[in-house]
Amino acid sequence: MNKSVYIQYLSLVTPLGTTVEQHLEAFRNGSSGIRIAEKSGFQDSSLPLAKRTEITSNRYDSLLREGLENIQMTLPGNTAGKIAVIVSSTKGNLDLLPEDAFSSTRTIIRQFFPEAPVFIISNACISGVIAINTAADYLLADTYDQVLVTGIDAISEFVSYGFQSLFALSSEACKPFDKSRNGTTLGEGCGIVLVSKEKMLNHAVLYKGGSSSNDANHISGPSRTGEGLVRSIERTFKRSGLSASDIDFISAHGTATVFNDEMESIAFGRTQLDRAPLNSMKGYFGHTLGAAGILETIMSIVSMEQNLLFPNLGFSETGISVPLNIIQHLESREVKTVLKTASGFGGGNASLILQKEG
Amino acid sequence: MRVLAHSYVCPNGTFLNGKLIFDTKAEENPLKFTYQQLGTEYPKFYKMDVLSKMAFIGTELLLPFFPESLDTENDLQLLFANASSSQHTDNQFVDSYEKLHNPSPSLFVYTLPNIVTGELCIRYKWYGENCFFIEKQFNAKNYVEWAQMGFNKGNTLCLCGWIEAKTTGEQECFLFLLSPSRETQTSTETELSTLIKQYRNE
Amino acid sequence: MSDLKENLKAQIIEQLNLEDLTPADIQDDAPLFGDQGLGLDSIDALEFIVLLDANYGIKITDPNQGKEIFQSVNTLADYISKNQ
Repeated sequence: MNKSVYIQYLSLVTPLGTTVEQHLEAFRNGSSGIRIAEKSGFQDSSLPLAKRTEITSNRYDSLLREGLENIQMTLPGNTAGKIAVIVSSTKGNLDLLPEDAFSSTRTIIRQFFPEAPVFIISNACISGVIAINTAADYLLADTYDQVLVTGIDAISEFVSYGFQSLFALSSEACKPFDKSRNGTTLGEGCGIVLVSKEKMLNHAVLYKGGSSSNDANHISGPSRTGEGLVRSIERTFKRSGLSASDIDFISAHGTATVFNDEMESIAFGRTQLDRAPLNSMKGYFGHTLGAAGILETIMSIVSMEQNLLFPNLGFSETGISVPLNIIQHLESREVKTVLKTASGFGGGNASLILQKEG
Repeated sequence: MRVLAHSYVCPNGTFLNGKLIFDTKAEENPLKFTYQQLGTEYPKFYKMDVLSKMAFIGTELLLPFFPESLDTENDLQLLFANASSSQHTDNQFVDSYEKLHNPSPSLFVYTLPNIVTGELCIRYKWYGENCFFIEKQFNAKNYVEWAQMGFNKGNTLCLCGWIEAKTTGEQECFLFLLSPSRETQTSTETELSTLIKQYRNE
Repeated sequence: MSDLKENLKAQIIEQLNLEDLTPADIQDDAPLFGDQGLGLDSIDALEFIVLLDANYGIKITDPNQGKEIFQSVNTLADYISKNQ
């Protein structure tokens, strides 16, 4: 990559708050957004959820509006043809079924960015990472100067019942990589990053490269060998000209299902990344699906900005076959280069690398 | 950029490079009929949702046109899009918990549009890059742009798909194989726009 | 017993949304799981648990137990006739 691509956070709305300061505080203190929600599951069962309780109706649209209103800067160069918006969402607004679940997404984005073309990526849990990769591709092809990437998904009975039917939900707040983990916890949120040719904000970091790869194994079960994740990480290393020894921190996917976390440990072992400090942020945010890649990238940039490694909330004893360097305590140290990964249904895996300039 | 081959699957029939291969106008179950005509053994076909079934048939027909010299295992990119996401299965899944009071796991796993590309990767052992976009309508310019972005980063071949299964009953699957070449992007766009119109009899 | 097997085939087709198949397409002794037979997997095993509960009042609590029972229509019918 000869040209520079920058990435900076603009907005995040989750059960933990609406500002980076609130999230930094929560991550420093190990505060989770997950609470038991009475009667939220199938046949009125209770589920732990990371739910934004301020929202009482029309969750998806409200969350998307809140995220867009919360953008902490005036965007310069907001002219036709120069800025585009990519939305990453797995389900859109499910209240709109049986009609088009993504129609309100376009309408709302247009209210905020009337001139910008809108692209929607729906590729399961890796949507967010792919959306950032696609934004960078657009800049490198000189199609746009700035791409606003919005990750969003809201809690719904549809998705909760579905995960329940797969026995994939934890009975308490999820515990990524822990021995006693027994499923994920669903969450909701909206995160927005700006991917740009020019450095737009002081905290901007460089996007060094990214890629995706399919497991070619099963539509809902993770690969036993981590094949797709390994290939994605290796491709990302190649494209960014970096290697395992450059990585100061991995923001892993870590859903806390038995098979996913085991798969990731095998993949990180195979790519010589088992010594790199790593966390999953699902213990703070829950699994926010289409928003996960964006929210976790935002908090990775905060990690770099603060030179802080945040603990993997919910972890106490290792429960994976390849031991990883899971962050257990808040730690101050230089965080220069970060690998973000994601894996999801459909056999998808994606990764990207961020680096501080200079 | 060049269009190496294209296929089209809809309830009326299955087409390859513009020619009708299987006429299914009189068939009660066009996809099952077409699968059986293909003579391929892949029992998983019966478990798939409508989107994956159409993509499976369309891709089987395109296989002879994949250049043998390329590393399709790693360098083939899949770029798919539609307007209705997984709407057809989404509504079946809602029925499973609202009407039958049992959320169905085997339906739920198909309630994501990118399961289509996942099924193709499993079938053909493709480990390359995938992306699924939700678009208002078929837009040739976007496919050409996305494919070019993929070629820029080292992918050597691109299987694209516009694939729709709506609750209204509308179904179509237009697949095309793109490879980098000296032809201009504009001429590829025009070719694709014309092809889909011909297939749709517009 | 043959009635039970025919019913089971129809229920499997309905429960697993195998709309393209007819009961005649499923052999009594053909493996239901794996790459042969119907090519079913662990997700479908969850559907079999639902099927047995809803249609025969049989509850399976240990998913590992399912592996033996769900091998074929024959083994399923066997299990149902012994446990109903």
